[in-house]
Amino acid sequence: MPQQRNVLHEILGKQPHRRPPQGPTGRQITLGIVILLLLVAGFTSFYTVQPEEEAVVKRFGAVYGITGPGLHFKLPFGIDSVQKVPTARVLKQEFGFRTVDASGERSRFNYENFLDESLMLSGDLNIIRVEWVVQYRISDPIKYLYAMREPTKTLRDLSESVMRRVVGNRIGSEVLTTGRVEIASEARNEIQEAMDRFDNGLHIITVELQDVVPPARVQPAYNEVNKARQEAEGMINDANRQRNEAVPRAEGTAERIIAEAQGYAAERVNRALGETARFNAVLAEYRNAPAVTRSRLYIETLRDVLPRVGSVVVMQEGQVLPLLNIDQTGLRQLSAVGDEPTRDQPAENALAEEDQ
Amino acid sequence: MNRNLTIAAIVIAAVLFTAWSSAFIIDEAEQAIIVQFGEPIGDVIDEPGLHWRTPFIQEVRRFDKRLLGWDGDVSQIPTLGREFIIVDTTARWRIADPLQFLRSVRDERGARGRLDDILDSVVRDIVSGTELEEIVRSADWEVDLAGLTEEEIKALQQMNLDSPERGRAQLEQDMLASASQQMPGLGIELIDVRIKRINYIESVRKQVETRMISERESIAARFRSEGQGRSQEILGGMERDLRRIRSEAERTAEEIRGAADAKATRIYGEAFGQDPEFYALFRTLESYKSLDENATIMIDADSDFFKYLQTTQR
Repeated sequence: MPQQRNVLHEILGKQPHRRPPQGPTGRQITLGIVILLLLVAGFTSFYTVQPEEEAVVKRFGAVYGITGPGLHFKLPFGIDSVQKVPTARVLKQEFGFRTVDASGERSRFNYENFLDESLMLSGDLNIIRVEWVVQYRISDPIKYLYAMREPTKTLRDLSESVMRRVVGNRIGSEVLTTGRVEIASEARNEIQEAMDRFDNGLHIITVELQDVVPPARVQPAYNEVNKARQEAEGMINDANRQRNEAVPRAEGTAERIIAEAQGYAAERVNRALGETARFNAVLAEYRNAPAVTRSRLYIETLRDVLPRVGSVVVMQEGQVLPLLNIDQTGLRQLSAVGDEPTRDQPAENALAEEDQ
Repeated sequence: MNRNLTIAAIVIAAVLFTAWSSAFIIDEAEQAIIVQFGEPIGDVIDEPGLHWRTPFIQEVRRFDKRLLGWDGDVSQIPTLGREFIIVDTTARWRIADPLQFLRSVRDERGARGRLDDILDSVVRDIVSGTELEEIVRSADWEVDLAGLTEEEIKALQQMNLDSPERGRAQLEQDMLASASQQMPGLGIELIDVRIKRINYIESVRKQVETRMISERESIAARFRSEGQGRSQEILGGMERDLRRIRSEAERTAEEIRGAADAKATRIYGEAFGQDPEFYALFRTLESYKSLDENATIMIDADSDFFKYLQTTQR
């Protein structure tokens, strides 16, 4: 640069001083032109290729070679020209949405603006909104530059066309649920095939499906189905829970009823065995001396019972005869006897019960 | 000296200018035709590099050698089934014969105009003669109903699920073939024609969305009623099980009790049957033992006991 300034000074800067006599001499002009040409040549004879780039070098418009990253020289004055292509970078096209780098944060544009791109028909003629990303790389810079005028636009057109074909060849519910992986890989292969047919040097790395959803107006109805499914499961779970609570409890109760019955049975049999054992023992004695034993048992019993009994009434030919040692209670009971001759029924009842 | 220099400079400038005018560069992406007084001269130049022409009287017409894109207008077309759809097509073409191209359409703008006419009408003809299903589906269309709910299957069965006769790819091929017939006169080669976008027009879209909504609603209703049904079934089964369990237990309990009662009865019977008369006495006396102060004993004055009593009192 400083050199160039000197030259300018020589050519222009000195003019005011020598204005009246004459302009620069022919020598000076020639020298100036030569220096200028040399400078331009110097500045146009090298170029830098960034690490992720490759440069296509053309001489007089014809492709001459490809150079990799670094500093390179070429012929000046537009004889050689260079086009740099980012071959190592993974490039991306978005469909149905856009992301922008806003202050370092990736923010997502409203998809509403790209419904034309994302709405498509499934094979059962339903509408589905599909968002996807195509990642690709320029594998051949020469083909990329010279096979098509607009390879990127072509990639976009073809991606839209292929995605619609793939989605249109499936029924909607498959697209929304199980078909995602298959759709993505099928679309990738088909886009790659098209790129290969155009021979435009693009290599498709992946096709990634993003949101695949029904249109906004239908979305609530889809959510409603999910909700209904949850509710149905909830109802079934609730019923199962009730059942799982009630049945074991009932089984426990059943065990208890049976156990109680078994207890009753044991008790009943044991009592029978016990009572009959006693009876048998007494019977054996009775048989040895029936009359005596009979009286003895009778008397013994009464001796046991009488002291405990509230009152004793002696009957003779329908008449009530009070017995000895009648205290106040006895008196009261005695007077009551006439009115309520059934006073002793509980005892009879008890006896009757025992006999059953 | 100074005049000589000036003349020399002018001569050099003239030579340089002539050289400059007679040389031209054809880029890798270009092909060109030399035109002299409006008349094409010589062959098409498609070799990139430095080329020469006669200066001043010949001019160079350059054409792109690469594949070019064509994007059709978005147009509303009725299908064979009278549904209006929006179709957006895209095509790839190249200038195959620059000479012919130059004569018939002159430049790319002219070519685009002709392509618009030809492709739009071809697309319109083919779409309007085809059912929508044909355009959407492909030749390898296949419906897999596995994993769908009953309602979804029902909804699907209402529509035509047949494989398309031709399918989308074939339709695109037809479009290409039909349009290509008119291309040679234009010096254009059509590489491919594709349907980029296809969708319902706004009003039909609303209808379809409404249909989708009602379809979903009926699926939701079905889920709910299925849930209720299953729940009632489970609760009913529970009730049945509870009653069975309880009644079985009660039956078993009664059986156990009955067996025990029978056994006890047999034991009593065997023991007491040895001497029924003594048993009666034994039992009677036994029962007296349970009397308490609330009881009143009535003794017949003629009874043995009273006799003994009188005796003991005396």
